[in-house]
Amino acid sequence: MNVIELRNVSKKFDSFVAVNDLSFEVKGGTIFGLLGPNGAGKTTSIRMILDIFAPDSGEITVLGEHVSSPIQQRVGYLPEERGLYKKMKVGEQLTFFASLKGVSSREAQLRAYDWLEKLQLKDWKDKKAIDLSKGMQQKVQFIACILHEPELLILDEPFSGLDPVSTELLKNVIIDLKKQGKTVIFSTHQMEQVEQMCDEMCLINHGTKVLSGSVRDVKRSFGRNTVIIDYEGPDSFAGEDLIKRHKRFANHSEMVLQDGVDAQEVLKRAVESGARVNRFELVEPSLNEIFIECVTGKKPEQSLAAKGE
Amino acid sequence: MRRKVNEMNKIWVIIKREYIVRVKTRAFLIGTIVSPVILLALVLLPGFLATRGGGERRVTIINQTGDAGLFDSIKSKMEEKSDEIPMSGDQASLRATQFALTHIIAAPTQSLDEIAEQQAEKVRKDSGQTFVILPAGVLDGASAQYYARNISDFSIRKLERAISSSIIERRFARAGFDKGRIEDFTKSVDMETNKITDSEIKKEEGSISFIISFVMLFFIYMSVLFYGIFVMRGVIEEKQSRISEVLVSSVKPTQMMLGKLIGIGLVGLTQMGIWALTAMGLTVFGVSMFASRGINFPNIPPMLFVYFVIYFVLGYFLFATLYALVGATVSSEDEAQQAQMPVTMLLVVPMLIFTVIMNNPNSALSTGLSMVPFFSPTLMMMRIAVVNPPLWQILLSMAIMVATIFGCVWVAGRIYRVGILMYGKRPSLAELGRWLRYS
Repeated sequence: MNVIELRNVSKKFDSFVAVNDLSFEVKGGTIFGLLGPNGAGKTTSIRMILDIFAPDSGEITVLGEHVSSPIQQRVGYLPEERGLYKKMKVGEQLTFFASLKGVSSREAQLRAYDWLEKLQLKDWKDKKAIDLSKGMQQKVQFIACILHEPELLILDEPFSGLDPVSTELLKNVIIDLKKQGKTVIFSTHQMEQVEQMCDEMCLINHGTKVLSGSVRDVKRSFGRNTVIIDYEGPDSFAGEDLIKRHKRFANHSEMVLQDGVDAQEVLKRAVESGARVNRFELVEPSLNEIFIECVTGKKPEQSLAAKGE
Repeated sequence: MRRKVNEMNKIWVIIKREYIVRVKTRAFLIGTIVSPVILLALVLLPGFLATRGGGERRVTIINQTGDAGLFDSIKSKMEEKSDEIPMSGDQASLRATQFALTHIIAAPTQSLDEIAEQQAEKVRKDSGQTFVILPAGVLDGASAQYYARNISDFSIRKLERAISSSIIERRFARAGFDKGRIEDFTKSVDMETNKITDSEIKKEEGSISFIISFVMLFFIYMSVLFYGIFVMRGVIEEKQSRISEVLVSSVKPTQMMLGKLIGIGLVGLTQMGIWALTAMGLTVFGVSMFASRGINFPNIPPMLFVYFVIYFVLGYFLFATLYALVGATVSSEDEAQQAQMPVTMLLVVPMLIFTVIMNNPNSALSTGLSMVPFFSPTLMMMRIAVVNPPLWQILLSMAIMVATIFGCVWVAGRIYRVGILMYGKRPSLAELGRWLRYS
């Protein structure tokens, strides 16, 4: 069952087109990555899903119904710009946000205590938000958006600003929630996280869908156009006629081939140039590469990829 | 049906938060307790101080008339207890001031300047010293001359009256009138003021209506301004800290706005409630106490309080809605300083033109001005305190206000829902117009 469906949704602000004819769906019980550069229309799309804005045209259903206040109570939202009342105690804030979602304050207090313990914040329950570090505030905010046990979670940049330990902690919580059958949408710029966590994804740019589908299909549709090569010697062989982008790491290089270039040609030139090749591997591009490729608009067959879902 | 209850519940949650967070602050506690104390002090202190001691005035009377009895007459008049009721602090202090009179007889030939020079040194050394010269021709119309460091001392009026009536008595006596009848001739005439209302005619001091109406005007102005700005700052706080981003996924912006308006309004009513109870307590226990000391506590008709509360509530909702709108369109308190000006002006204008109402409360102009919804809370309130306008006018002004409030809430709600999620440049009026039409 689809938890979210967008059908030909458009939204304009004055003359600025924020979202243009966007359609995608999110299957229940999955983690879905909504990707795109800054200003691509992610936040506007999310706000329409949450019934903060109404679309100018098109149709949105959430949890099988048109968005409305009762639906809002079954959705948890972590906005990109986070905010807590500075002078309110952490525990009171959590109770406040939960009671707005219809949870009784007794129940909210119990759940808040559990979650604060789980995210290693239980000593901060009676502290004012202003006394917390940014990372801690972020975790409190995360608790606020799941305290009413929503079926659908929408997380806008959930990991930004978190240290690696907290990131890991939060990742595990999200994966646990998925195991409990909840659906999670998140938007991020960290493509590794999408590769690690997401089942499906949708990449949008300038308000339109660039590609979507399961992460595996998306990558497959781009073909094995990336070479991982570990060599010693000069890199003069990697000319622009062969290589679109060249990323150098400590012990190897990642090269994205120009369209239509055979990987063998690269190997041949490398050997000819006198470089000593220790490892040569043809792989699917990373999501990061796909993202850059699609957003910078150098990929003409993007529509093909979109069809490959 | 279930859904409706739910929505009301959300507003209630917001109201509760707004209310509790604010009432718990130290600022609220201090404001609630300190301001009535200050106000009471302003009202009662002059009178109180007056009964405590208007101080002693040492007056030397330099008499050139050659009539030694004149001094005794003045002295005895100064010692008479006046039977008029002191209304204000000035009169009370006048009554309480003690005069110590000294008599110096001077030759009629000495010039005023000469005497003044002789006496001035005493006054320069001791500012409690003053002197009066009664020149030889004072019975024939020459003026008495008063010399002091402080010549705006209200208590000298009493001295003036005593001198004046003593001299008038002397003139009558000189003309051959019988001593006993002179007092009957010279008795002055008081004019008491009587106020006609719809239901009765009653004795009332004019200055009392003025004081009451001005205090009410000022109180409404101050509290509407104070709580209006409170709302605006609340909106900016939520916007600046991005809390609105979180809230909009749970409640409609209009609900956020209404919850905030009602919550903070209740804080205002709580404060006023505390003040009203204090005032009532004071009326019950205080009036007799002060009356025994000769201070009248103004007797305010209870209906005036009812109207006061109604106009405060209506005025608050009207202006707080506009302040909320301003808060939603700015990104910082600094920007708000400027953006709030038009709204604050609407509130200040009645403070500048209230004299129009004061001078002619029932003129067409006054009636018209008091019907303007933004002016009604102050100007209609003032008219009610001064002249009791016809009930239909009061009800009409309330109806106009309610209609305006609904209009403003609608407009502000539409602006609010866009504004609280917009940051950066302040929108122009044209942009605000477009926000109104966003779906």
